[in-house]
Amino acid sequence: MALIPDETRQQLKERFQTRLSGPVRLTLYTKPGSSRLVLPSGLGCPTCDDARQIAELIRDSAPDKVTLEIVDISQDGARAEIDEVFEVPTMAIAADTNPGRIRFQGLPTGSEFPALIDAVERVSSGDHGLKPETVTALAKLTEPTEVMVFATPT
Amino acid sequence: MASAQVRALCVEANEFPELSNHFRVRGVPHTVINRRAAFVGALPEPDFVAATLEGAGVNVDEEPGPHQDVPTSSR
Repeated sequence: MALIPDETRQQLKERFQTRLSGPVRLTLYTKPGSSRLVLPSGLGCPTCDDARQIAELIRDSAPDKVTLEIVDISQDGARAEIDEVFEVPTMAIAADTNPGRIRFQGLPTGSEFPALIDAVERVSSGDHGLKPETVTALAKLTEPTEVMVFATPT
Repeated sequence: MASAQVRALCVEANEFPELSNHFRVRGVPHTVINRRAAFVGALPEPDFVAATLEGAGVNVDEEPGPHQDVPTSSR
């Protein structure tokens, strides 16, 4: 099934042409997919294949700026450990070679898709869009801090 | 991006029911700081930052701004 309509592909291509400036490194952490087969919790990954399609869509929309690495955590457990990725699919977005600190766990569809595109564009341009007061306040964080936001596609 | 200390993780709540249950997610957006402190709703930026710092255990001794228009969405 083609998850992404051609119209969306074209729109994204045009959008990225003007909005991406710097390189973006996408890392998709997956396990071998089991398609629509429902397996007991922890086995397989029913949404990994769809997540791969979304990650590839982003890369293919701006192949000169976006690189995509796919990490199979069932094969490369050490890497998952280092990058602290324990659930799949997880997509991490980075501008440099560090493990991406903006991550989407689960399939970023529906209302999460614009958030994903926004994150890619912001990482590329380096423009976080936050108020100066916010940046000042965030400087008070001296320890690694995880901000985990639960969302739904609707 | 604005802080090298912060890692942002957006979790699709329906896809990870065990995680959602663990953090007692009843509505979205539901934000959990360091797997410890939580707040619900799409807060305005200053409130979001304040709640994040508080959740991270940072002493915020500045006077809190008057933000009465705090929308909370639950669905």
